[in-house]
Amino acid sequence: MTSSWTLEAEARIGRGGALVRRHRLSNGLGLISLVDRSSPIVALQTWFRVGSRHEKPGATGMAHLFEHLMFGQTEALPPGEFDRLVERTGGESNAATWVDWTYYRLSLPARDLPLGVRLEAERMQHLVLETEPVESERDVVTNERRERVEDDVDGWLDEQLMAQAFTVHPYRWPTIGWMEDIRALALPDIRSFYRQWYAPNNATLVVVGDFEEGSLLDLVASHYGGIVQQPLPAPSELVEPEQARERTVRAPKPIATDRVLAGYKVPGQDHADWAVLEIVATLLAGCPSARLHRHLVIEREVASSVDAQLTPFRDPSLLRLAVTAARGHSADSVLALIDEQLAQMAAHPPQRAEVEKAKALAETDFWSQLVDVDGKAEAFGHYETALGDFRKVTAIAERLAAVTVEDVARCVRAYLRPERRTVVIAEPEGDSDEDEDEDEDDAA
Amino acid sequence: MKPPIVVVEASQDTPLVWFDIAIRGGAALDPVGTEGLHRHTAMLARRGAGSRDRAALDETLDSLGAALDIGVSRDSVSVSGLALSRHLDAVIDLAADVLAAPRFSEDEHERLLRETPQVLDEIRDDDSALATRWFDWVCAPGHPYGRTSLGTEGSLAKIGLADVKALWQRQVVAENMVIGLAGDIDDASAQRFVSRVLERVTAGPRPASAVLGPALLPGATPGRKLVLVDKPDRTQAQLRIGHQSIRYGEPDTAALAIGEAVLGGMFSSRLMQEIRVKRGWSYGAGCSLRRSRLPHWFEIWMAAGIDVAGPAVALTLELLADYAANGPTDDEVDFARSYLIGSMPFHVATARQRMQLAVRDAVFELPAGYTAGLPDAFSQVSAADVRSAVSRCMRPDAAVTVAVTTAAEALPALTKAGAGTARIVRHDEY
Repeated sequence: MTSSWTLEAEARIGRGGALVRRHRLSNGLGLISLVDRSSPIVALQTWFRVGSRHEKPGATGMAHLFEHLMFGQTEALPPGEFDRLVERTGGESNAATWVDWTYYRLSLPARDLPLGVRLEAERMQHLVLETEPVESERDVVTNERRERVEDDVDGWLDEQLMAQAFTVHPYRWPTIGWMEDIRALALPDIRSFYRQWYAPNNATLVVVGDFEEGSLLDLVASHYGGIVQQPLPAPSELVEPEQARERTVRAPKPIATDRVLAGYKVPGQDHADWAVLEIVATLLAGCPSARLHRHLVIEREVASSVDAQLTPFRDPSLLRLAVTAARGHSADSVLALIDEQLAQMAAHPPQRAEVEKAKALAETDFWSQLVDVDGKAEAFGHYETALGDFRKVTAIAERLAAVTVEDVARCVRAYLRPERRTVVIAEPEGDSDEDEDEDEDDAA
Repeated sequence: MKPPIVVVEASQDTPLVWFDIAIRGGAALDPVGTEGLHRHTAMLARRGAGSRDRAALDETLDSLGAALDIGVSRDSVSVSGLALSRHLDAVIDLAADVLAAPRFSEDEHERLLRETPQVLDEIRDDDSALATRWFDWVCAPGHPYGRTSLGTEGSLAKIGLADVKALWQRQVVAENMVIGLAGDIDDASAQRFVSRVLERVTAGPRPASAVLGPALLPGATPGRKLVLVDKPDRTQAQLRIGHQSIRYGEPDTAALAIGEAVLGGMFSSRLMQEIRVKRGWSYGAGCSLRRSRLPHWFEIWMAAGIDVAGPAVALTLELLADYAANGPTDDEVDFARSYLIGSMPFHVATARQRMQLAVRDAVFELPAGYTAGLPDAFSQVSAADVRSAVSRCMRPDAAVTVAVTTAAEALPALTKAGAGTARIVRHDEY
């Protein structure tokens, strides 16, 4: 049965040079495999190239809703049976949705890999979508949203940042969806979404752990080989226009001090500058000796915390700076100091030792993601699904190692400019007599 | 003198080495009124040691691609590190500096005293963390685990630098340490690591003050209690319901772990099915027995919509009462046992996990391999054993409920939930 597969790519990844392979079944299903016999367990992940970017305005939250529905009834499994079968083995199941992908994760004892493959193949093609389970999960998702957004200031900041920073691109709506959209998602549209996106030619299985590769190929082919591929919609060509002016939003929240989330427009993860910006983020706030941490938190004591993150999205996204102001200090004073630091970094390139420091930390991070079978599977699944090739997990590491002082200065000057920035500020209630205050925006 | 406990778990999969150096005796030993002392002391030790001030120490560690973090639990203070194996020797010396020669500078002491109340602010801003903080405080008044490890504005003000230095000198002695190493390290390197740490720290015996006896613990207080932590503009109620429970490692541990799994330790558990799956009242619902050196809490958690918070508490208390009275069915016990035995390989899959479990067992003063060996105990426990343990250890009559929510909206329904008379407190008063 292994002859129904085509070997497309292979690479040696990791310290021991373990062989990672990508095979493809004739119906388009991808399979990435890595044998790791360090423990009698296996990570089985199913990555779909569908995330919130594939939704339509008015129907946001659809991709995330499936993260819930996919654990429900199928033609062969009564309600709750999926979880019971997995838990009886000692395994665990979970799922995650983001802008570019949705993935389903099973962690199983190695002997139960056949069960996992059977369950995943079943729910890819035979999910039962009826009113009662959909309504039940809709209530759960609305409560999830309340917990993570409505009652969580960091969730609110995150949602507002994307909504203000993006005017055209689907990254502008939250992955969990707007509350009014979640409540309005209609059953026919839910069924249509399932038929459209949950197809073998839109999926990659990633299997890492204790198994024999030939047996895995036979097993997957036997369960997936009969699933018919589906025509997939053309990828969105929406391009976010260049941002010409800073955008700012403020709102009162029941918090103790100001919170700031600022996002600077940066290229997507596959761009050559992405690795440089990863180094920039580390230099700014990615370690105890980082510039903003030292300046804002330790020396000036205007902030109690500062963090920098580069979102690993396929299309251009944001380098985000999150700051909690210290008692007695305002978001505006913190932003002024950030601007000073960025201007200094743009005008005076960092020393080589400072860049080498960030590269050493990046090396530690690279290895840290490859410590266990779940982490390896997640890394391969993300790069394969978001960027089209699992081998980019090492390509990005190589780019990080090649970053120069000049690269850093150039990218700070090019990307970390106030006009490319969107700022969301949460202020303690009572500090301002205004409700939500949105600054006038530039024309799109 | 007894040597420190040393655990080594080798794996050459990556060029990384993790280490955990646990100093037994944690925040539960903070003097009454000086809560936060252990955390403050340990954090301060990391802010400059040996020949390096804070900035130089941070810079050196970062340049090696390494991390050196401080952790403070109720039972221990830990100095944990991550290093590329080619830099391990350099990182060992830095860790030894922190343990043996912290500077405890006046400037950093004052700065940390200004910073910590802002960590309190962040907890007050986070409903889940706030619910846990209040639950810890009110669950078992007088219990050392009920006192905050972070401290309060009042207790922090009482911490002096002399207290800090005395605490570190007393606690950081070889016999009081548990040292764990995992990753790209062989026995010779591990021995070198341990020797280089031990040659720097005091060789004294384990201090009597590092041992907290169960004789000091209060018993569970009969009668339900409800604390409503009032916070404006909430759409949900972050809920914690529970009571003081048994010590991890007591004979009932295996049976009660199965009982915990049936009630709220799996997706298939009763709480998740009744609260989330059947009613959609909360994104999640479950329970846990807190694992510690002394008897700790049994705790149920969920975040219910504010409109259903009252019914959710009422149903949970009914479920708890029924469970304590009747226990799990034979089928439920079989299922949970299968889950717990089958899940153990995931908890010991990596060298780092195995090392951390072993260090934790040692801090809890359990026999070596206790947690990793629990599957054998699970296989020997009968359904009757589980029902008996649940009946003895679950106390619906003594359930304490904490709800972080908007009082004006949630109070009427919560007062009808049978959780006791509500005591309303401001979200920022503790």
